[in-house]
Amino acid sequence: MPKNFQIIPASERVLSLRKKTMSSERYISIGQAKIITRVYKENGDLPVILKRAYSLAAALNEMPLAIDPEELIAGNRTPDIRAGVVFPEAGLAWLEKEIETLPSRPQDPFGIRKEDVILLKDSIAPFWRGKTLEDNIYNAYGNELSSIEKVVKINQKDHAQGHICPDVEVWLRLGPSGLLEIAREKVKIAEGEKRSFYEAVSITLKASCNFINRYSELAVLMAKEEQDPVLRKNLYEISVTCKRLSEGPAANFREALQSVWFLFVILQMESNASSFSPGRMDQYLLQYYKDTDPDTALELIDALFVKFNQIVYMRNAHSARYFAGFPIGFNVTLGGVDSEGNDATNELSYLFLKAQDHIRLPQPNLTARLHKGSPPEFLDECSRVIGLGTGMPQVVNDESIIPSLREAGISQEDAINYALVGCVELSTSGNYLGWSDSAMFNLVKALELAINDGVCMITGNRIGPATGKLENFSAYEDLEESFRRQIDFFTDKMLSACNVVEEFHRRHLPSPFLSSVMNNCLNTGTDITAGGAKYNYSGIQAIQGANIADSLAVLKKLVFQEPIIDKSELMEALRNNFEKKEPLRQFCINRCPKYGNDVEWVDELGAKWIKYFASGLKKARNYRGGPFHMGLYTVSAHVPMGQNVGATPDGRLARTPLADGGMSPMYGRDKNGPTAVLNSVARVPSHLASNGTLLNMKFLPSLFRNETDRSKFTSLLKTFITLPIHHIQFNVVTSEDLRSAKADPDSWKGLTIRVAGYTAYFTELAGDLQDEIILRTTQGENE
Amino acid sequence: MSKISGTVFKIKRFSIHDGPGVRTSVFLKGCPLNCVWCHSPEGIGSDISIWYNKNVCIACGKCVDVCPQGALMLTGEPEKYISIDRRLCTTTGDCVEVCPTSAIQFTGWVTTPSEVICEIEKDIPYFKTSGGGITLTGGEPLYQPDFAFEILSMCRERGIHTAIESSLFCPEEVIRQISDKVDLFIADLKIFDPFVHRQHTGESNLLIKKNLTFLVSSGKKIIVRIPMVKNITDTEENINSILGYAGSLSKNIPVEFIEYNPLAGNNYRRLGIPFPLDNLNKES
Ligand code: SF4
Ligand code: SF4
Repeated sequence: MPKNFQIIPASERVLSLRKKTMSSERYISIGQAKIITRVYKENGDLPVILKRAYSLAAALNEMPLAIDPEELIAGNRTPDIRAGVVFPEAGLAWLEKEIETLPSRPQDPFGIRKEDVILLKDSIAPFWRGKTLEDNIYNAYGNELSSIEKVVKINQKDHAQGHICPDVEVWLRLGPSGLLEIAREKVKIAEGEKRSFYEAVSITLKASCNFINRYSELAVLMAKEEQDPVLRKNLYEISVTCKRLSEGPAANFREALQSVWFLFVILQMESNASSFSPGRMDQYLLQYYKDTDPDTALELIDALFVKFNQIVYMRNAHSARYFAGFPIGFNVTLGGVDSEGNDATNELSYLFLKAQDHIRLPQPNLTARLHKGSPPEFLDECSRVIGLGTGMPQVVNDESIIPSLREAGISQEDAINYALVGCVELSTSGNYLGWSDSAMFNLVKALELAINDGVCMITGNRIGPATGKLENFSAYEDLEESFRRQIDFFTDKMLSACNVVEEFHRRHLPSPFLSSVMNNCLNTGTDITAGGAKYNYSGIQAIQGANIADSLAVLKKLVFQEPIIDKSELMEALRNNFEKKEPLRQFCINRCPKYGNDVEWVDELGAKWIKYFASGLKKARNYRGGPFHMGLYTVSAHVPMGQNVGATPDGRLARTPLADGGMSPMYGRDKNGPTAVLNSVARVPSHLASNGTLLNMKFLPSLFRNETDRSKFTSLLKTFITLPIHHIQFNVVTSEDLRSAKADPDSWKGLTIRVAGYTAYFTELAGDLQDEIILRTTQGENE
Repeated sequence: MSKISGTVFKIKRFSIHDGPGVRTSVFLKGCPLNCVWCHSPEGIGSDISIWYNKNVCIACGKCVDVCPQGALMLTGEPEKYISIDRRLCTTTGDCVEVCPTSAIQFTGWVTTPSEVICEIEKDIPYFKTSGGGITLTGGEPLYQPDFAFEILSMCRERGIHTAIESSLFCPEEVIRQISDKVDLFIADLKIFDPFVHRQHTGESNLLIKKNLTFLVSSGKKIIVRIPMVKNITDTEENINSILGYAGSLSKNIPVEFIEYNPLAGNNYRRLGIPFPLDNLNKES
């Protein structure tokens, strides 16, 4: 632990940067879209990978730059802070429709400049029509996608994949100039596609050096004009730092942080995607930290934390409602074990936690890796910061995750070096394209079809195979058979659809710059989208175990075993959304145990189907030749997913949200306290979820009010390490406060909440999502 | 297998204010005292009855239909609720069986030490990391001495830390017997003056003091707790007397002050009995 780091205050400078960042007005920016469009027009017949490389290079060479004289870490993809960057190759359809309403939409609005709208409508959009990733996927496969969409939502159709932990270590060690040398050597002997690949990589790396150097030049110019001696000195330092980084690797802590930031800026300029994650920063930065004193280091980290909030990801109106506050997934992972299996926590781990205490913004997404040898001080510091109520750090469990990754086919060396990307997705460092969130599979909808002969209860349309009705099943096993058939039917369709989407990514969005920092792309001359990474997974989310367990428990116990509830009466009630059947609904809720209460037979009902689902994913390989595997995290999709599902036997009403998270019990139905929740969650086969899991828990702030009480929370973390559970994140807030915040958003602007793998401002979330968060059980609230 | 059984009215996991670490508190039903401020009146009587939570009742009337005694009635305008004629109720439980919301429930259940242990064992991993264990409380846990003894012994066999929260109002031999199985006594000392004690709890506290003295002399780990009841236990005089008394017994007895639970009135309403403190508060 660094000495006295607890009492280092946030400097005025970083607080001022923080303020400016969060209060700056957001505009939509089409500067880069113009450049990309021009390059594509000029180079119509080049291979896509070269068009992409030249576009990125042109943006790096031409985009206007800005430096705030106060900032310690410079760089952004636009001169405006938090601009909504338009990125045409992936898809423009939504923007064409929504551009005029961007400034007035309720969630995450963006200002627009009139001339930009005209330019977009008249010259940019028409060129791209029919050429984007999205348009091509829909033309080729649209009907198939919409035929399964109620059960399976295929993702990544209109933006680049992201969700990657690049090899930051190699970037720091070699710098863009060092990587460029390698690529240039390779070009000489490569042929065909590989030659284009290496050329493309070289083009983007050369432009990256130039981009960084442009900051150096700008800083000098500004320094000459600057009157304030402190700011002038800072500008000179920026200039020197950038100059050195444009020519070689990072040599000290400031250069290293600056270099990391440039990497992520450029990755965003190439892909404009959610979730490029820096990974284990406390590990790879340690060698640069050595001679830095903690105060200086912490201020630099604070400054970088502010920077993480300056790039936002503009979403369409619908998804902005559920991903309010621009979760962009700069996930920083701390602690964990080293290659020998020893504790890897170091001084930087504590400084990063302290930076969270200082800055308290939605980004970065902070994750603490815990394991049996985590030092007590680290656990306690994690608890303390969690108690601040910012929802961070989330905690993950090495003891559960490393074996799970091994089981999924990852080497021991790589598994030990895992980090989180985006929200909660697991990844190795620098060699893994996990294609997270490839698709979401709504098991609850599949169960609805399984008891209703494949017919959607909301629309009355047939969408699945006719596998029988509950009324006609004579035993619980008949129901299981029907469920199995629905799952199989949609799994097959889903896997084919995922591969179609991936193929189009390869055709439209090869990413040479990203490939340059991903093992083994550079060695093998293969782009990341073509399978150049050492590991090529595709993550599919199973949604939602809690509702499956709860619904099957009611069916098994109350309908088949006892039987207290009549099949036709239940089906009738479900089809009519329990209208005039409130007693029956209450009976389903209260008279049958629920997942999350440590009732083994109920938990096992859910676990069985999670296992079944995971095994179905083994039926195919993905487009890049790797395996499909399961994730148990919904982010905030449990709300829109719930809108597709009719009333369920667990007493949930039609169209209301499903359970949150992925591993969490249905909100308000876990009544036996946090230990019971953890015991239930431990029965879910997390080891099969090598793509990641998500458990939300909400605690009262009073649990953190003194050291004795906090130590009881810490002991929960200690037990967590002994359980087969990958992940937990915590909200520390009272339901009362949340209710007040919903009613009076103006007074609660600063209230951040952990939604699902990311933190957002509570008052900016969609109303139905707010309600669901309020209803989540608060541990300690009911006596 | 022993044939001992007992009555429990609540088992609370992740109990964090009843001794060290994370604990499971087991609430044993029945109490020889009758404190006017008691915040779990459902734990006073040894017998099991029914109680009713109006807040979750949906006024479906199913309970009324099944009651063989005609003890239930749907009443109230415009918000309907169930009124219970407790003189007619013979605790058949038909209403509990059909109630879809669990608005009507039994006030406790008869169980065996093994069943209780099953529940306790679920949290052993949390006891281990936190230095926690179980706490028997109530009601008055020592009012069911054999049951309590058996549970504590079984915990001991499993290496689970044992605490008991008690008024210590029990025969001396009960204390003597059970103290071997208890790692920590949390003694509720409410009122120092024996007469005032009798006035508010129905009994004098001489036995309590005797038992406490015995525990101190046998070197047991003890925490003294004072529930802070307005104008009754929280007077300066009472607190000072208790502090002085505890100090005179031993220098290392920590004294804790327990905030009074402002929601206690709800439990009386659910039982359909008046809350004595309500009247007291009004008088004062
Ligand atoms: S059965 Fe339950 S919910 Fe229905 S009226 Fe009686 S107490 Fe209320
Ligand atoms: S317990 Fe039996 S007698 Fe008493 S109210 Fe309920 S149904 Fe009637």
